[in-house]
Amino acid sequence: MSLYLLMFRQFVRTRICQLGLSMVLVLGIISIFIGKQFLDKQRATAAQVAETQQEHIKRNVDLHKDDLGLLLYYLKFAVVNDVSPLAGLSIGQKDINPSVQNVTILALEGQKYDADLVNPATLLFGNLDLSFLIVYVFPLLVIAFNYNLLSEEEEGGTWKMVSVMSVHRWRHLFTKMSVRAVLLFGVLIILFIIAAGILGIEYNLAFSKIILTSMLYIAFWFAIVAFIISLRRSSNFNAVALLFCWLIFLILIPAVLNNVIVNKYPMPEAFTTMIKQRDGYHEKWDTNKRETVEKFYKQYPQFSSYGFPSEASKLQWLWYYAMQNLGDVESKEESALLEAKVLKRDDVSQTWSMLVPSLHAQLIFNSLAGTGMENYLDFLNYTEQFHEKTRLYLYPKIFSYNKAEGVDWDRFKPEHVSFEAHITWSHLLLPFIGAIFLLVCATLISFRYFNS
Amino acid sequence: MKKRTLLIIAKQFCASVFKSKAIYLLVLTLVVLLVIAARSGVAYYDQNHYRIDHQQMARESWEGNPDKHPHRMAHFGTFAFRLKHPLSIFDFGVESFTGNAVFLEAHKQNVVNFSEASFSTGLLRFGELSMAMVLQTILPLIIFFIGYSAIVADRENGTLKILLTQGAKWKEILFGKALGLSAISLLFCLPFLGTITFILLTEEHVVQDDWMRFAIIVIAYSLVCFILSFITIYVSLKSDSSKNALVKLLGLWLLMVILVPRTSQAIGAYFYETPSKVEFRAAIEQDVLKYGDSHDINDPFFKALKDSVLQANHVKTVEELPFNYGGFLMSKGERISANIYGEHHKQLLDQYRKQNQLTQWLAIINPFLALKNLSMSVSGTDFESYVHFQEQAEDYRYKLAQKMNSLQMKYITPNPNDKTKGSQVSRDQWKSFSDFQYTQLTTEAAILNVKVSIISILSWFIFSIALLVYGAKKATAI
Repeated sequence: MSLYLLMFRQFVRTRICQLGLSMVLVLGIISIFIGKQFLDKQRATAAQVAETQQEHIKRNVDLHKDDLGLLLYYLKFAVVNDVSPLAGLSIGQKDINPSVQNVTILALEGQKYDADLVNPATLLFGNLDLSFLIVYVFPLLVIAFNYNLLSEEEEGGTWKMVSVMSVHRWRHLFTKMSVRAVLLFGVLIILFIIAAGILGIEYNLAFSKIILTSMLYIAFWFAIVAFIISLRRSSNFNAVALLFCWLIFLILIPAVLNNVIVNKYPMPEAFTTMIKQRDGYHEKWDTNKRETVEKFYKQYPQFSSYGFPSEASKLQWLWYYAMQNLGDVESKEESALLEAKVLKRDDVSQTWSMLVPSLHAQLIFNSLAGTGMENYLDFLNYTEQFHEKTRLYLYPKIFSYNKAEGVDWDRFKPEHVSFEAHITWSHLLLPFIGAIFLLVCATLISFRYFNS
Repeated sequence: MKKRTLLIIAKQFCASVFKSKAIYLLVLTLVVLLVIAARSGVAYYDQNHYRIDHQQMARESWEGNPDKHPHRMAHFGTFAFRLKHPLSIFDFGVESFTGNAVFLEAHKQNVVNFSEASFSTGLLRFGELSMAMVLQTILPLIIFFIGYSAIVADRENGTLKILLTQGAKWKEILFGKALGLSAISLLFCLPFLGTITFILLTEEHVVQDDWMRFAIIVIAYSLVCFILSFITIYVSLKSDSSKNALVKLLGLWLLMVILVPRTSQAIGAYFYETPSKVEFRAAIEQDVLKYGDSHDINDPFFKALKDSVLQANHVKTVEELPFNYGGFLMSKGERISANIYGEHHKQLLDQYRKQNQLTQWLAIINPFLALKNLSMSVSGTDFESYVHFQEQAEDYRYKLAQKMNSLQMKYITPNPNDKTKGSQVSRDQWKSFSDFQYTQLTTEAAILNVKVSIISILSWFIFSIALLVYGAKKATAI
């Protein structure tokens, strides 16, 4: 035990240790504050929506109280995808995909994909959140702390002494590595504790899964380092080989995979949906009104008792909202194709990530924090339901020429939803355990081989 | 400094590099990366076809409209699709994070939607593999790797002493090795530049101007090759062991290429907060309402406007006016709301520019960042190029809305009982309003946007030479 403490003290005194740990602590605290700012902003937006919706409805009701059809042309209804505090750890896609949808009951397709306002340059350089630190920077520290674990002693001549003096020379190496592991895991836990305090994260299953994922991921890097050390080459070789591994796992494989996915599944459907939705609605102005309304009744037979508008009449709200709805109906095919493609993209990246621990860790973080693609798709689907629900409540009131006071406006408070991530234990654990197992086996074999 | 000695040392350095097997592995890696990057670049650029097709599709349905009320057409609207610059094959820049299509209609400035990032699964955040990325990120690492031991290894094994006793000067040794390393790194660049030349030659949309942009890229990347080679040799000279030289250079790479850019941009974004879409829209709505609400018949602003128009035309009611008052009112409203939007949008962009400022200025001390900024801007894939698109789209939207308003004023009857004018406009008018035509930012503007980076690269070039001259003076053989 005293030997262990000695090694500990010895390592803590090195410059690389002090430099590395202070860098990761400083970056870690910056990243937590960035996460905090992100959460605050998301919450402020949600609060603002709640606040303005009341006022927005009231102002427009006052202006158009006699014409419900016209009033609902202007009114917007909000649905908020509640942001989990964990999103402060892993911002993921939440910076582009808005967590508030503010929709009118007109055609939805033109509204639902509206992106949030973002600075593309900031997106290019990427978010500095805690997940970035764990996925990118911690592996670098693992490498910097361990690459010369054995070679340094061999090059300095101390390894011979260790070999002569101790029967457990491998245990000596293992102890050295564990000193470094204890320090790194300690810093990691400290960062998580700080994050929990600042971001207001409650200790729950998702949070513990994030911590576990981080630890397994860092353990995976220790396994890589152990394998490279076991080859018993020079410090220079180790440094270059490990940096190469880092490059492969964090830059090259993800980038190539992304290029392949983007090129294999291009998204022209997005453009087509947009045009079709517009045309589907606008063409109806110049076509037979009865046909339009018939198509609408096919969609919603419950309204067929409202009859048909006369061709000569100028504007009838029934016809108008039927036209709007048909914009969505006629772009449905493209819209479904678009969604299927996004799902396909998600599917392919999930599958490949099983083989690439760095990707796996990031995608797990995003899923658990509710900032991944699937969360956004859930939200889009919910928006669709919300839109339909709102429409179906309001349609009969418009069609029977109700006035604004005939509607209970108090029920239109911004709606809040949240979605659970479904991550099974096996999905979370297997890729890491598999990779670590393989690396440990390879390490043991190579130690034996290079030792004999 | 004797030219002959210089060349001998440079040649000898190159020969020794090509003696090791590792170099062929590196060449192979680079070639593989080049092939992947070039193929993706071309495929990315091919997305222009979708955009041109859809621009055409939107145009056809615009022209296909029958005679109708022009305000219907103002709401029918059209779309603007962002076209990629041919050099985006080389450097993807911010392209994947910018919107690609926007719906243009009266009264409303829509968001440019459907960025690649919005369909991405989070994988995109790891970065993309473009030719520029390989040259900016991987090549420096290779230069460091090849050159880290150039001086220090010779010192360790005593060759340096022999060289010096044979009459070689320190300057000749340092610059000889530095030039040898530069030559090798330029050699690595060559296939990339060759590939781009080939692609540009076979690409039909390339104009004279693009070659000029390409020439700037060639010069910038070459200069950076020299800078990095010189710095590598300097670090090798100043290190007491080859291991130290390697660790210093790898640390430099991590700091300058990976950590500093991300951190500086994140800090910029932290200190200059920007509104979300909801806040942005709400602020505009507030300002528009301050002017008055054109839908409210008792609104003082619009009532005063109406009175003054009636007075100027010496009539009592809007029906008696020689033009359609509805069209006039909307053209006023459009101007007011477009101005307010323009003001807010400008503020938003300025805030974004402030966020980017730190990263822009850090280019002075970080040549990697300077190269990145310069390369993006010249390739037409930087932030400002995107802003340029947004401005053009909004400009077109405004013209479209106002054209429809003026058609309404001119051709639509002001009085429903007066049958001399109808309630529709001929479809020929739709055709005569020309389609959205995107023009790229001019090369001059693109260069001016990154003057800090250009100055940085030039100064680093001079500085790195000075560094070696200084190193030569202080150098010792042991």
